[in-house]
Amino acid sequence: MEIRIAGLRKHYASEGRIIKALDDVDLTIPSNQIFTLLGPSGCGKTTLLRSIVGLESPDAGEIRIGDEIVYSSARHISVPTEKRGLGMVFQTYAIWPHMNVYDNVAYPLQNRKVPKEEIRRRVAETLAFVQLEGFENRPATKLSGGQQQRVALARALVAQPRVILFDEPLSNLDAKLREETRKELKTFLYDLQITAVYVTHDRVEALALSDTIAVMRAGRIIEIGSPKKIYFDAESEFVADFIGRANLVKAVVREQLSGTTIVDSAIGRLACRKGNFSPDSHVTLCLRPEFISLTRGDHPGTNVVQGTIASMVFVGDAFEGEIRVGDQHLLARIEPETDLAVGDEVGFQVSPDHCLLVAG
Amino acid sequence: MTGRHSGLTLLLIAIVGFLTICPVIMLVFGSLSEGLTATGTFTLAKYIAAYTDPALLEVIWNTVIFVGGAASTATALALFLAYLNIRTDIPFKFIFGIISIIPMMIPHLLFSVSWVLLLNPSNGILNLILRQVFSLHHAPFNIYSLPGMVLVEGLLDLPIAYLIIAPAMASFDASLEESSRVCGASTGKTIFRITLPVLRPAILAAFILCIIRGLASFAVPSVIGMPGRIYVLATHLYQMVSTGFAADYGKAAALGMSVLLAAIILIYLYRYLTSASDRFVTIAGRGYKPTIIKLQRSRIPLFLILGFLSFILIILPVVVLFYTSLVPYSMVPSMRAFSMMGLKHWIEVLNDPISLLSLKNSLFLGVFGATIGIVLSIFVAYVIVKVRSRSAGVLESLSFLSFSFPGIVIGVGFMWFFVRTPLYATIWALLIGYIATYLPYGVRPLSSAFVQIHDHLEESSLVAGASYLTTLRRIVIPLLVPGIVSGWVLMATMFVRELSLSVVLSRPGTEVLAVQILRFSEDGLWGKLSALGIMMIGVSTLLVLLVNFIGRKFRPVDR
Ligand SMILES: Nc1ncnc2c1ncn2[C@@H]1O[C@H](COP(=O)(O)OP(=O)(O)OP(=O)(O)O)[C@@H](O)[C@H]1O
Ligand SMILES: [Mg+2]
Repeated sequence: MEIRIAGLRKHYASEGRIIKALDDVDLTIPSNQIFTLLGPSGCGKTTLLRSIVGLESPDAGEIRIGDEIVYSSARHISVPTEKRGLGMVFQTYAIWPHMNVYDNVAYPLQNRKVPKEEIRRRVAETLAFVQLEGFENRPATKLSGGQQQRVALARALVAQPRVILFDEPLSNLDAKLREETRKELKTFLYDLQITAVYVTHDRVEALALSDTIAVMRAGRIIEIGSPKKIYFDAESEFVADFIGRANLVKAVVREQLSGTTIVDSAIGRLACRKGNFSPDSHVTLCLRPEFISLTRGDHPGTNVVQGTIASMVFVGDAFEGEIRVGDQHLLARIEPETDLAVGDEVGFQVSPDHCLLVAG
Repeated sequence: MTGRHSGLTLLLIAIVGFLTICPVIMLVFGSLSEGLTATGTFTLAKYIAAYTDPALLEVIWNTVIFVGGAASTATALALFLAYLNIRTDIPFKFIFGIISIIPMMIPHLLFSVSWVLLLNPSNGILNLILRQVFSLHHAPFNIYSLPGMVLVEGLLDLPIAYLIIAPAMASFDASLEESSRVCGASTGKTIFRITLPVLRPAILAAFILCIIRGLASFAVPSVIGMPGRIYVLATHLYQMVSTGFAADYGKAAALGMSVLLAAIILIYLYRYLTSASDRFVTIAGRGYKPTIIKLQRSRIPLFLILGFLSFILIILPVVVLFYTSLVPYSMVPSMRAFSMMGLKHWIEVLNDPISLLSLKNSLFLGVFGATIGIVLSIFVAYVIVKVRSRSAGVLESLSFLSFSFPGIVIGVGFMWFFVRTPLYATIWALLIGYIATYLPYGVRPLSSAFVQIHDHLEESSLVAGASYLTTLRRIVIPLLVPGIVSGWVLMATMFVRELSLSVVLSRPGTEVLAVQILRFSEDGLWGKLSALGIMMIGVSTLLVLLVNFIGRKFRPVDR
């Protein structure tokens, strides 16, 4: 089910200041996709999500789910949460401690007055789907973090909601479990073909899980696109920097060629991925460390950058190297079994496709 | 160090054990022996007499209604108030803070009396007003009834129930409710299926504590129940021991054993529930943000209910007492009444040697008793919190036990004990009885104070080169001051108003305020009663203010 949001605004007054948690958000969330809201802490992701479920009442704007208007300030419509027919997984999972797993999962169906027999069948089905068969009578307080997460998912799914919403559902899990659960969640959601809105501030999670990512900053949506587009082809410096580690270098556009844009930068003249900039405009060149592969000595050819290794730090699966180019420092990833050392003269060639230009 | 501590622990077990177990043992002996003492020949006659008494059935029935009704009223009201305070945008939230501390200010005895003054059928002020306004022949309300008792006791127990339920409500993870809403349940349904069940341990704990208080309650049954010939266990026992020469302590003890047993079982149930409530603490993650429910249209009506409740809890009793102490006899407030006001009752009380003696005795017991009690509490709390050995656990259970003691019952045990010592009929008997019965009131605030003094604080002072005594003086004692102050205040105010133990132990020459007030109430001397009652409130308030002032001087940092 598609969600359309228009002009949504929510301001908080706190300690004499106005906080724009949502600042005229316009957004269309396509149906049957995993749609991720990504952004730094405090940018308004949770507020947006809670406005969609109806736990927060915005100051102005409109929210449609499918054809139904669930919120409209102009028309004085505000459908209460329990009538919106959605499913949600909370950050803390909010598993009810006084009920067992079965009762937790059956609860949404009981509220919808589904006959007992059918409740039993559907709870069993859903528990099987999240691989929790046999856990029916387990008290909710006796579950591991990952199991709680799956109970919360089952509870959100069991009534076949129009949309399912997630607020940082993995942030309470430890690193290893988080990775496993993320994969699992992706499979579940892929199998279901359901509209899912997913909030996170973890970029890896967003990239790995989403069909579409919307990046938020200070109450506004600043960019929407597929994970690949956001990662390789961000339009703004903020997004490029936020979505991954990046070397950001000031540059000036010199020339537009058929497939590339030529810039002059602090690390030399480079052919970059084609961008819509007029000559002489100031831009930022974004170069991700993982696309810099160093070799010793001079390097022939085009799009080559030369420098010296200023430092190397071993971080397990690689070295994090710092390359001095002129008075610019670039981060680079260096293979773990390298024979390079600090002080070596090095160079690298970079494909224009990996040189991203963003405004500013 | 450990050796010294185990010595201290054993000493404290001996003292506290003596204070709490002694009266119980005397009760057991006394209930099984012939004659008036606890050392007569063995007999079961007292038990047979006590439990075959035909009046007992009605007494038990009254007790069940009284205690159950009051506990339900108090718990339900406390839930309602806690929900309003913590989960809604009701205005003037400071009122809740006042409601939760008034039991320290207005003694139960006076609160009950003020309701009698308002709603007694012959000249209750409110009844007189209503009769005038609606030209009725009969008084519309009769406080001397079971519903009247339930109402007053329920209001009296409200603060304690609130103090248990409110923190539980405050630490409630709001996302539990929100997810219920998302799952399709309305606000009302969410309250009944999620909020209340999750809070169940706290609700039950509050309910049980109210039941214990109701069982031990003597003020309401004596001031409101007895004039209406409604006897509950406490007053039934009081009758047995107070009817002059026909006093039957053994029979009272035999019946009292059941009350005591029930109270002890309940207090341990309460403790189990409050410790087990940890099971229900859910991880409050970073997303935790309690949503405040906007009351909108019901905001003003709900606030009016709250205002009315605090009016009848806080303002009305004091005003009624003041008024009654100034007018010559019960009359509706009017121009005439105001013109007749005077200090007649005050002057009479101040010229009454027994009232003066009781004032002196109560003041002594409050100041001196609380001081001794708090010193004992410091050691007990220290051992309970810091030593944590098995014998420290025994000490904890022992010091907790007297929380359940119904004063009338335990008073009989003490009496038998003191009869065998030179302390009988002296003020020291009262002092020891008070400390024994109210020890938990001092131990609890001090335990929480000790919990806050992390071992590292002491150790780092020692590492910093301070001697053990310096550490005690510079680090431990200053951090304890808030606990000492609140423990002392609690004990002192309890002692100044103590009634149920005193009615058994007090003898001519050792009258105390509450007993004297009860005498006035039995004789219907409302004016004198009110004057003395106001003095009692004044003494308590003065002690509270004084100690808070002294405590502030000793604060480690000025705040
Ligand atoms: N009830 C409130 N009162 C005042 N300010 C609020 C309130 N709720 C949220 N805010 C503010 O609104 C902004 C957006 O909050 P929100 O919870 O939506 O952030 P978020 O993007 O979910 O952050 P995080 O990643 O840390 O969860 C923040 O600056 C926050 O401080
Ligand atoms: Mg958030």
